[in-house]
Amino acid sequence: MTEVRVPTATGRPEDAADGQPRPPGFPAAEPRRGGPGRQALYWARWAWRQLTSMRTALILLFLLALGSVPGSVLPQQGINPQAVQQYYAAHPALAPWLARFSLFNVFAAPWFAAIYLLLFLSLAGCVIPRTFRQFGAARQQPPRAPRNLSRLPLSVTMASPLAADAALAKASALLAGKRFRVRTGDGWISAEKGYLREAGNLLFHLALLALLAAVGLGGLFGYKADRLLVAGQSFGNTVTALDQFRPGRLVSASDLQPFSIALEKFSARYVATGPDTGEPAAFNAYLSYQAQPGAATQHYDLQVNHPLNVDNVKVYLIGHGYAPVFRVTDGTGHLVFNGPVPFIPVSLNGLTSEGVVKVPDARPRQLGFAGVFLPTTVDVGGKLQSAFPAPYRPAVSLVSYAGDLRMNSGPSQSVYQLDTGGMHKLAIAPRPLAPGQSMKLPNGMGTLTFAGYRQWISLAITYDPGQLPALFAAIAALAGLLVSFLVRRRRVFVRAAAGADGGSSVEFGGLARTESSETFGAEFEGLSKDLSAALASTGAAAPSADIPASSDLPSSPDERE
Amino acid sequence: MAALGLAGVLALGACDSGAIGNSGPGSNGQSFVSGSPGTTVYGGNSGPVAPRVTGTLLSGSKFTLAQEHGHVVVLNFWGSWCTPCRAEAPFLSQLAQHFTPTGVRFLGVDIRDSPATAEAFQRDFHIGYPSLNDPGDEIALAFRDTVPPAGIPTTLVIGRDGRIAARVIGEVSYPGLRGLISRALAQPA
Repeated sequence: MTEVRVPTATGRPEDAADGQPRPPGFPAAEPRRGGPGRQALYWARWAWRQLTSMRTALILLFLLALGSVPGSVLPQQGINPQAVQQYYAAHPALAPWLARFSLFNVFAAPWFAAIYLLLFLSLAGCVIPRTFRQFGAARQQPPRAPRNLSRLPLSVTMASPLAADAALAKASALLAGKRFRVRTGDGWISAEKGYLREAGNLLFHLALLALLAAVGLGGLFGYKADRLLVAGQSFGNTVTALDQFRPGRLVSASDLQPFSIALEKFSARYVATGPDTGEPAAFNAYLSYQAQPGAATQHYDLQVNHPLNVDNVKVYLIGHGYAPVFRVTDGTGHLVFNGPVPFIPVSLNGLTSEGVVKVPDARPRQLGFAGVFLPTTVDVGGKLQSAFPAPYRPAVSLVSYAGDLRMNSGPSQSVYQLDTGGMHKLAIAPRPLAPGQSMKLPNGMGTLTFAGYRQWISLAITYDPGQLPALFAAIAALAGLLVSFLVRRRRVFVRAAAGADGGSSVEFGGLARTESSETFGAEFEGLSKDLSAALASTGAAAPSADIPASSDLPSSPDERE
Repeated sequence: MAALGLAGVLALGACDSGAIGNSGPGSNGQSFVSGSPGTTVYGGNSGPVAPRVTGTLLSGSKFTLAQEHGHVVVLNFWGSWCTPCRAEAPFLSQLAQHFTPTGVRFLGVDIRDSPATAEAFQRDFHIGYPSLNDPGDEIALAFRDTVPPAGIPTTLVIGRDGRIAARVIGEVSYPGLRGLISRALAQPA
């Protein structure tokens, strides 16, 4: 007779005849001789075990940190392409070799991706099998009761008027009522509680996997961008309007959320007295924005660390400064420049700002200006300084150049830098201009007017679709870890043997699976009290699952009489 | 009065060659996105339909792209401050002179400029065609579902059927853009 054992849907391992289920696919005895296929399998398994070991993960993490070092030491193509060009000019022999190893684009380098992917694989390969193991542990049935319960750390023997079978049935109902997982056998009961610990462990591992996936999600579909915005101006969230754009690997120009933002007014307040004079007190950027073209205009008071959330994109206020407004008329009498030019703060307490003005369409020569904007101008021993960041006595002072700005061909230039290599300085001494004042350039080159000033803010735009999942995953991981630390697994066993005059002798033993503590001792004592009370009564009413066994106590003495 | 001069400015004045100024906020070296240069050509009528763009020209009058239906349209996103835009401007000016008599319409979209500065650019390079003023990036946003400009400059060639026939990111070359326009002209409406 051939019996085919088919795994049941419930897959209860205790159904197996020997109680020691063999994992499917594993032969009882492994043949010693193997072909090249088996050899390859052996090495593949060896490599996998090495990759997923904790040591490899740590080495990869270290390599990842080491690999990002050139990214901060060498100029990077994605962040500062001009600095890369300058590096090429300064080190013509070395630069091509560095480029060959992607050292100017470290974070997009194949070797960097290899480290990242291996680390991801190593972590996933470590966590996934553990997850399955935890899943198994959470579903596990209690083991068989040991033969001799008196050898357990906690044990008690009691006599019962009930027959052995009835006593076991009562004990089983009592333990099940106290939410023990109960397994019964011939003359014994084994019960275990605290599986929540395993569930917590499982949650922790699953959350860890989710965290890894969320971080990957952000890296693929997220993006970061910067934009400087002058008061009174607006921009749309599209690549051409951004100062800097760092897309995730799967982000294209059409994936950007099409909101637009206008800066209506920017107000900065500074501490006016005391030792902190000039320190910022409050920044408010009053924005109006549309979530998409044609949508209703909404308003937001943007502050530091209070980002605007539009279409799941976060917009942070990260900087501010002044943009003096210039009007330039060239030598032919045409208005060739009219608008604000953002100047960049170089000293924070006085907000002294530097900037350049390029007028590439001036005739007969292109014009360039470089200088400073001072919000509150004071004369300190013949040198001008800014005494306070608020614009109480604003002034600009500029050095003037004429010639070739080198903007009509060649590499892209920064709008904040002036290439004076093709220009000559005009013979006009820099003197501070107050708003409304002009300076006439020599040799019929034209006139520059400092028309006034506006303020600007710089915005950091970040979209990270993995952020929220990562947060939830981290919270779940923490919760799982807490549960697995706080919940203890503990087992109790009952053995009943036929005793004198139809009664039985009942042994009750307990074992805390993790470090035994006083709390389990107290719990065991309570349990044995409840058990002895339940076993003392011959009444047919078994303790109900809902009613604590101790509530039977008052009625018991009457029945015993 | 030289004593009044600022120490910082004098230091700048001493600098006869090389770049002066600082790198700008966020240590961004360039402060605009130039995009990865390249040309995308859409074969047959596989290109996406160009959006119905309306806007205000630098001259102040209204403009609707739909009016140009039936014409090949060359749309150039530019800024007077952008070096590659200035480098390609002579080619665009010449190509406009060459192709306008054959019914090709040229249109600029001026980005991050003031109208006075942009008009100085057009005068300087003898640009004979109009440009839309796009201070709030509405035109650029309108193209987001089709072929968005992915850097400055970006040039789109729109066919007679209103479908985008080609996109060039970065500086165009004279023969390159001429070829794209001729190809669009050869397509039936």
